Amino acid sequence: MTLTKPAAPDLLETPEWRIEGRDKVTGAARYAADIARPGMLHAAFVGSPYPHARVVSVDAEAARTMPGVRAVLAGADVRPARFGRRLQDWPVLAWDRVRFIGDRVAVVAADSLEAAEAAAAAVAVEYDELPAVFDPEAALAADAPMLHPDAAEYTYFGGTRPPRGHPNVQGHVIHEHGDVAVGFENAAAVFEHEFSVPRVHQAYIEPRASLVWIEGETVHVVTTNKAPFALREQMAVTIGVPAARIVVDTPHVGGDFGGKGLSLDEFALYFLARATGRPVRSVLRYADELQISNTRHAARIRLRTGVDRDGRITAHQARVVFDGGAYAAGKPVAGLLPGGPTLTLAGYHVPAARVEAVAVYTNTLPAGHARAPSQPQLTFAAESHLDLIARAMQIDPLELRERNAIRAGETDVDGAVWHDSLAPRVLATLRAASPSGGMAARDNGRGLAFSARHVGRGKTSLTLTLAADGSIEVLTGVADQGGGAHTMIQRVVARELGIDAARVRVRQGDTGHANVDPGVGGSRVTPVAGNAALDGARKLKARIAELGKTLDQAARIAAPLVVTGEGEQNEHLYGVYAYSIEVSVDRETGSFRVVDAVLVADVGTVINPVAVRGQLEGGFVFGLGQAVMEELHIEDGRVTTTNLADYKIPTIADAPPLRLVLITDAPGPGPFGAKSAGELANPAVGAAIANAIDAAVGVRVMSLPITAEKIRSLLRTKELRAADPE
Amino acid sequence: MTYDYHEPETVAEALALLALHGEDAHLVAGATAFTLLWRQGLLRPGHVIGLRRIAALGGITSTEGGLVIGATVTHRAIERAVEVGRYCPALTRTFASVATVRVRNQATLGGNLAHADPAQDPPPMLIALGAEVVATSAAGERTIPVDELFVDVFTTSLRADEILTAVRCPALAPGTRATYLKFLPRTADDYATVSVAATLRLADDGHVADVRVALGACGPTPVRARSVEAALRGARPDARHIADAAARVDADIAPFDDVRGSATYKRDMARVWTERALTELVS
Repeated sequence: MTLTKPAAPDLLETPEWRIEGRDKVTGAARYAADIARPGMLHAAFVGSPYPHARVVSVDAEAARTMPGVRAVLAGADVRPARFGRRLQDWPVLAWDRVRFIGDRVAVVAADSLEAAEAAAAAVAVEYDELPAVFDPEAALAADAPMLHPDAAEYTYFGGTRPPRGHPNVQGHVIHEHGDVAVGFENAAAVFEHEFSVPRVHQAYIEPRASLVWIEGETVHVVTTNKAPFALREQMAVTIGVPAARIVVDTPHVGGDFGGKGLSLDEFALYFLARATGRPVRSVLRYADELQISNTRHAARIRLRTGVDRDGRITAHQARVVFDGGAYAAGKPVAGLLPGGPTLTLAGYHVPAARVEAVAVYTNTLPAGHARAPSQPQLTFAAESHLDLIARAMQIDPLELRERNAIRAGETDVDGAVWHDSLAPRVLATLRAASPSGGMAARDNGRGLAFSARHVGRGKTSLTLTLAADGSIEVLTGVADQGGGAHTMIQRVVARELGIDAARVRVRQGDTGHANVDPGVGGSRVTPVAGNAALDGARKLKARIAELGKTLDQAARIAAPLVVTGEGEQNEHLYGVYAYSIEVSVDRETGSFRVVDAVLVADVGTVINPVAVRGQLEGGFVFGLGQAVMEELHIEDGRVTTTNLADYKIPTIADAPPLRLVLITDAPGPGPFGAKSAGELANPAVGAAIANAIDAAVGVRVMSLPITAEKIRSLLRTKELRAADPE
Repeated sequence: MTYDYHEPETVAEALALLALHGEDAHLVAGATAFTLLWRQGLLRPGHVIGLRRIAALGGITSTEGGLVIGATVTHRAIERAVEVGRYCPALTRTFASVATVRVRNQATLGGNLAHADPAQDPPPMLIALGAEVVATSAAGERTIPVDELFVDVFTTSLRADEILTAVRCPALAPGTRATYLKFLPRTADDYATVSVAATLRLADDGHVADVRVALGACGPTPVRARSVEAALRGARPDARHIADAAARVDADIAPFDDVRGSATYKRDMARVWTERALTELVS
């Protein structure tokens, strides 16, 4: 009898063990708020009670003499320090004007948090209230209160700030391609609808936290910021210290969902550390997270689309108004709009389009980035709009999408030509995965939504070191915000070298040790850092081959063997995805339940099978929360949902069953053909549910969140109309 | 922003501390509500008197057909008590529907009632059961029907020198049915948009002999729906009758707009859920 050794299973097909998983579940993992330094002080801020006011005076004398208080700083002490990711328009402490409720005017450092908070409460600030503006359209009026008369002084990273038509504009863009006028002339029908989406918060578990101390000439920062190198650059400008003398370290991050790219406290902590010579820490209270941190932008979206007799799009026009809040500081992209602001019909062939997007200053808390910026707003609008068109044209909603889904060689809404497209395949797969035939109950209905999200782009590098014991250490600047980046890097290296994953250690270095990395975001990590890991592994393999040795032999004779892996992904590519969701509606109350959900997603080669599932299932629940229950209520500039009892997010009991159908055999530009998965699942949930509700009970919700009350109110109006057509 | 924490071991000691510190004292048991209010700066007592070590305030006792539940018994203990399930399964379900198991393990019955949050689950059910609370002061004990305990949001008819020491649930006449319905359109972990508790007993001839209906989240206090009760009492209820009676709930409630719904919607939902509760009880 002969025994053949079975072929080793492909590492990528084996479910991964999370590198940090054990530390996280045993409580050993340390987060920014867990880290302390000897002699550390605690910071507390003084925020404005007015949405728009001139700061007349700040009297900190009483606060300064309170027990345990080491420093009190006001705007005059930090002037002209402002912070921001692309545009530095947010004063570290306001010296002449506050622009939203909670805008900071002073900060205290004290021996204990209680002492700091007591002193902060004792700081007397005199304000002179100014007219405030809360509605972005009103803010664009000629006589609207102007929020930023000193805009010319602001630092803008990366050249000249794009021109703006009105001083309250943060960013403005018009995309145009094809002949829109002719496209509308040739249309058999033209449809126009307006949708709105409210402010929502990323609602991570871990609030922002940071610790700053100065050692010799070096400024040390421990932070929850997921883009430590970018924070270093921003901070250098804000505090006037060269980047080389700032070291930023991001430990474990307790959830991000797009919100942790903006730092709020670190800058003021630097000034406190400088004033006291002591380390200073700040941990945001969740009430402050909900009232002052960068939320998703509220948006009002007007879509106008012409279609031919078969429902094929001939022309598209859109205007998107984003409420940017008091500062543009949270937005990292050059246009000072949330990313992808003009992708109103993502994933479709649009022969002619004119899409205008504008982000506007208002006297409300600043908006910034949140998981798949712009897409939840735009996809809700677009996929509701197309469903309404399908209904009006009496075309099956899936059929209408199949007719318009972009094919290779066609132009998308952004004017880009797709060289390849999985859109038809994703829709065909969805058709196959959706139950056919009637609904299980009378008031059940099924809705679908389709869209596309870019595969992340960018550039990074990391270093691999082969040690004498045959293990490999990867040093990376990528902060793992929970997505599984470090495990992904480990598995890419291990698979390429044909070794056990356990032999590869991934160490995250601070900005003083690791190579520059653009940070986690934009679905970038797997295609970019993954490619760097693959490149590093290949270089190491080549070095070993040059030596004519095996990996273990090379380790013994040549260790430490160090290579730099470089990764870059610049192609404009999309991952496409589609949902089919069935709801069951209670007509008397308007409440509803998701009884079935299918998500078809084009994710490319899977590196971390458990994490991909987690990202898609988690993205679905995240999207569901923002679709049906989440809304940051703001009244005259004041956030009234100031805790997680009022601002509700889904719990596990609210998570409906989700069937995932992954398309993994169409390779992408990442390592081994990987694409991105983190932002595919959340944007389209709202539209799929709105469409399902229309299918179930014949009413159309035009705004998020899709609440029971909205549905009930629409049903009531419909019943009354049916009873009395006059 | 600190306070002195006291842990008396008898009701007498607790009353003495209350007398000593007066307005500057705050009573807690599980302290779940207190902690939230304190962290938001809404309460700043100099003295906090913890009641959990007072043995006399614990325990659930069955009396002739009824129940006495000590003020410091947790929601979870009530939810799991065999005596409670035997007395009234709807009461068990009511306690099981409060917040999460972690909160229920900590929060107590007395704290729940003394907190007087109009959206809490137990108060409407206790009103519908005709329960009363025992208020103890240096002068002795008095009883207050739960129906008369609530004065306004976070305000009760307890005097400053009184401690809520127990809840008495009366014996229910044989054949009494009870239900508690909590409308949660957003998430399973939320306060009710509206809630309805009802008890009902049909006489042998099919007429309504007893009926009590109470609602939560429909105004500044949990509220008894006397108009609904009056419309049903003595009637032989059919679907039409129940719908008409439920529509009268509008006169009994004063809901306000909040993140869980507009006042108009809550009025509509109070009617729908009252009708559903009554329909369940007569079916």
